Amino acid sequence: MERSARTYASLISEPLTYLVGFLGSSGKGLLDQQVAQLRELNDDVERLEIVDVRGKVVLRAEGNNVVLFGDGLESPVVEDRELLRAISGLEATAAQVTEADGSDAYRVVAPVVKQWGEHVYSLVGTFTYANVDRQLRSSLWLSALILAIGLGLTHWVSVTLAGGITRDVDRLRAGVIRIQQGRLEERVSIDSRDEIEELADAFNLMADELVATIRQLREANRELETLDQTKADLVANVSHELKTPLTALRGYLELMAEGGLGSISEESIRAVMVCRKNVERLSLRVEELVQLSRLDRFTSLDSAREEIDLKPILEGIIDTFRPRMEGGGVHFVLQMQPNLQSLEANPEQIERVFLNLLDNAVKFTPQGGTVLVFAETCDHERRHGVLVRIQDSGVGIPPTELIRIFDRFYQVDPSSRRRFGGMGLGLSLVRSIVEAHRGAVWAESEEGIGSTFFVWLPFGDFAHDVTNKGGPSVRLEEADGDRTAAREV
Amino acid sequence: MARVFVVDDEPDMVDLLATILKSDGFQVDTDTDGRSALARLLADPPDLVLLDLMMPDLDGMELLKLLRLDAKGANVPVLVVSARSGHQDQLGTLQLGANAYICKPFSPRELVRQVRQLLETSEAETNA
Repeated sequence: MERSARTYASLISEPLTYLVGFLGSSGKGLLDQQVAQLRELNDDVERLEIVDVRGKVVLRAEGNNVVLFGDGLESPVVEDRELLRAISGLEATAAQVTEADGSDAYRVVAPVVKQWGEHVYSLVGTFTYANVDRQLRSSLWLSALILAIGLGLTHWVSVTLAGGITRDVDRLRAGVIRIQQGRLEERVSIDSRDEIEELADAFNLMADELVATIRQLREANRELETLDQTKADLVANVSHELKTPLTALRGYLELMAEGGLGSISEESIRAVMVCRKNVERLSLRVEELVQLSRLDRFTSLDSAREEIDLKPILEGIIDTFRPRMEGGGVHFVLQMQPNLQSLEANPEQIERVFLNLLDNAVKFTPQGGTVLVFAETCDHERRHGVLVRIQDSGVGIPPTELIRIFDRFYQVDPSSRRRFGGMGLGLSLVRSIVEAHRGAVWAESEEGIGSTFFVWLPFGDFAHDVTNKGGPSVRLEEADGDRTAAREV
Repeated sequence: MARVFVVDDEPDMVDLLATILKSDGFQVDTDTDGRSALARLLADPPDLVLLDLMMPDLDGMELLKLLRLDAKGANVPVLVVSARSGHQDQLGTLQLGANAYICKPFSPRELVRQVRQLLETSEAETNA
């Protein structure tokens, strides 16, 4: 607006001044007409004034009203100093002003300078912002309208679209929940021809796969169960098939050795003793295999656990070994702390642990050596329990081998298989059993001096458990006891 | 003289058990078949039964159940002889009505000890 106002003012300043001078008061009608025409050239013009350089207003055109001062009508005098300075200046100026009614206006002062430099009048044009405001307002209105329509449209689109999406997503979600609840045969049907439909298709495909996989797993599991049962039956049969002849051998050999079948020669007795020793060894191996296969099947769960005392177990084992030790000239010492708390354990398995460890100790201790067994209360990893030490004066185990002796089928010296028998299962079985009882087993050894095996087992009363971790696991084991009962060999 | 009835499908085992018991002064009857053994047991109940668990046709468990169901066999002491060393097996047999359990391979001395003990307990109960 400002620029057009300035151009307009400088354009009309000269013709208007000329018109005033030429027509004067005599041609007032014509002047009015001409002024009106000039005014029509600019929409924003509010008032046009011709003022002489001294500040006297010669003409004032405001609205349709054109007033010519001079003849009998006294000219008003411009008093505003700034305006006066602008009027007397030779350069066109423009300024923002406030009108008497308080509205903003734009005032342009354009001096009318004749060719020879004479400067008598200036045009003071006052322009209103009303049009601009109106335009601005209308454009604001338009913007608001567009915005409103846009928002409305957006809302509609989103509600329509999102509503559809939400519905589809809800359906998908319901499908997921159905699958979660195990209704695997249910599928999701969405026909939205967009990503949601693709998602639903993918979901259905996944459900199909799931059903197929589950069917496969069920079949595999059934096969495994059959296999497991077959294995259990096999172990039962093998143990029966091996143990029955062993019983016959052992029984007759013992009867012979004790003279129950009549007297036999000294040499025959020695031969019978050798047979007995070997039958005993064979029995141990068979029992070991049976135990190991059972542990493999149930790991820690094969635990019909009960309150047991170590003392009778250890004494019983030592009794079993006594003929062998006396024959081999090995001295045996058992030392137990009196009134040891009882353990909650599987008696057969615990017996197996000490049977195997003592078997090793006796096996590797040379004639005249000693096997010591100590049992005493001992805390291990902040839990109360019993520590059993089995110390032999045998050949010892090299340090590098010490960590591997509990591995299955591991033997320190391959030739020991020939020399001492065994399949390298004894110690791995010991470890499996002890760990299944939440205990620990380790060994120390010095070559040429002997080895000491340590077995730590927690006390049965789990209320004394310092860490209090015992509770849930005990319940678990009890719960599993029932399950194993039916399947035990 | 106490009468012991041995039931085992293995002739060698029957022979061994009979030898051990006879040498200790028991009177011994034997049978290698479950069904005929059951019939003989019920017809003339002995003082004690030595029973093998794993037998073809009628196995030890079944025989024990049937024996206990009959009034004549309900109170005869039964010592089970088995290759199964599982704790649960022992418990199961005892629940079925066996009085004791001995695992193969056992020593003759242990067998005789258990037989004597069972007979003593049974006698004490009968007298009481």
